[in-house]
Amino acid sequence: MHPDETSAPVANGAIVVDGLVKRYGELEAVAGLTFTVQRGTVFGLLGRNGAGKTTTLECCIGIGRPTAGSVRVLGLDPTDRRDLARLRPRIGVQLQATSLPEKANVGEVLELYAAYYGIAPRPDEMAARVGLDGKLDRQIAQMSGGEQQRLALALALQHDPEVLFLDEPTAGMDAFGRRILWGEVERLRDAGKTIVLTTHYIEEAERLADRICIVQRGKIVAEAAAAELVARYGGDATVSIAADGFAPDAELQALGGWTRAGAQWKLATRGEPGLALAAVVTRANSLAAKIDSLDMHRPTLEDAFIAITGETLEETG
Amino acid sequence: MTLLRMFLVQTKSNFVWYFRRDGEMIFWTLAMPVFFLVLFSFAFSSGPNSGSSQFLVPGIIGAQVLSSGFWGVGVMLATFREKHLLRRVYITPMPPWIFFASLVVYRMALLAAQAVILVTVGALVFHVRIIGNPAEILAILLLGTATFVSLGTIIGALARTTESANNIASILTVPLAFLSDAYVPIDRFPHAVSSALRLLPSTEFIDTFRDVSVHGASLAHYGAWVLMLVLWTVAGTVISARTFRWV
Repeated sequence: MHPDETSAPVANGAIVVDGLVKRYGELEAVAGLTFTVQRGTVFGLLGRNGAGKTTTLECCIGIGRPTAGSVRVLGLDPTDRRDLARLRPRIGVQLQATSLPEKANVGEVLELYAAYYGIAPRPDEMAARVGLDGKLDRQIAQMSGGEQQRLALALALQHDPEVLFLDEPTAGMDAFGRRILWGEVERLRDAGKTIVLTTHYIEEAERLADRICIVQRGKIVAEAAAAELVARYGGDATVSIAADGFAPDAELQALGGWTRAGAQWKLATRGEPGLALAAVVTRANSLAAKIDSLDMHRPTLEDAFIAITGETLEETG
Repeated sequence: MTLLRMFLVQTKSNFVWYFRRDGEMIFWTLAMPVFFLVLFSFAFSSGPNSGSSQFLVPGIIGAQVLSSGFWGVGVMLATFREKHLLRRVYITPMPPWIFFASLVVYRMALLAAQAVILVTVGALVFHVRIIGNPAEILAILLLGTATFVSLGTIIGALARTTESANNIASILTVPLAFLSDAYVPIDRFPHAVSSALRLLPSTEFIDTFRDVSVHGASLAHYGAWVLMLVLWTVAGTVISARTFRWV
């Protein structure tokens, strides 16, 4: 990891995690994490299951006590009883295990949580926001995992918190649920809220997070905006062409490195692959070379992830 | 105001949700003590009008206070933790005492229902008469509930799983009910044994409750035992507060 990628703890960040270590007996779940989340941004902790994302999040909300290091959320220390009491009304949390009373119905839970936060209950509005409109009478035990997750999201949002913690928020959700959650996150970011989310879905991190922090075995292995991660670690873009009689000219040679396997030519470029592709096609046409196949690949966040961690996000991969 | 609303909504939720979930169990909770009363009354005596029902009604109510604390609070808390309900409420601004207080109110309402049913059946079928001062009866009943809720909370704090909480509660409740003057008089045991058993908070509570309710004794004469129960309650509360885990 490049030293310049480590965000040094910044005093005015909404969340400042400095040298966080969490051990459970022999197991070191978090092995020295340092990062800062700026106000009004979405921060994604991306990594495999068991990388230490949830433990980190738990230390931010006062559920887990750091073995070493410190955490500040809105300038408050979650390990301090009084600070935690001041912090609770200002944060909203969606936990991984939805942890809702199974015999309660949607409207009752929303009412109870409104009472916890001393706000007027808005069951209809909140249910509609998470796509549970008309389901206020549904019992939790009869809802799908995705529906329970959406209700958990509504409970995290109802009191309009300044900071949101979402732990694997779309795990078990269908496409409908994901769309709703993604829409809410984007809306809340636009409203100036600070959001921390853990995920092991590349697309989710890429779409939602302003900064992505890749966590592997309790350590941060890279932290930057998605585009930056791709630019730095994703490798070259490639353009491949198979065409009889094709050969790159000096102009194409200047675009990057060419390799050849039989009739297949491949360009690895740091430049814009779309332009390179156009130039390659123009060159083939000027040579009257019949194009058999043509392919362009732009480096993705997944490429960057694999390059950084040496593994894929799939557990079996 | 906010706290009052929190408490009221939480308490209302407890009633609605637990009744929805435990409907069948609540029936048995109310029916079993009556079953015990009838069974033991006939087993230990020649029939109605004997002294044993007079002994059994307060004894069974006392045993229910025990199991309410150990099962109703202790095991329930372990279940809540296992299902991650505790960690979810821990991150809300609700003060922990509201959560406990509303749980205790729910258990006390069930206890009150059990007591009313037992006393009614006892009076109608076995001519049991409650002659004590109602305020003193209520006071000793509340103190006993406080004692066994605080001791039960230790089970909820220390048990890692619902299963182990269940085991601890069973190991405690069943023998205690038989060794604490609830179902059978302990003065049938050798003197040394019964003296030792009177050191148990359960015996102290049940004997005091019985003497005050059906014998019309004054609570003032039981100062030492009331003090012991207060001390047990304080010890239980301190240990619970020190060891309780929300996650």
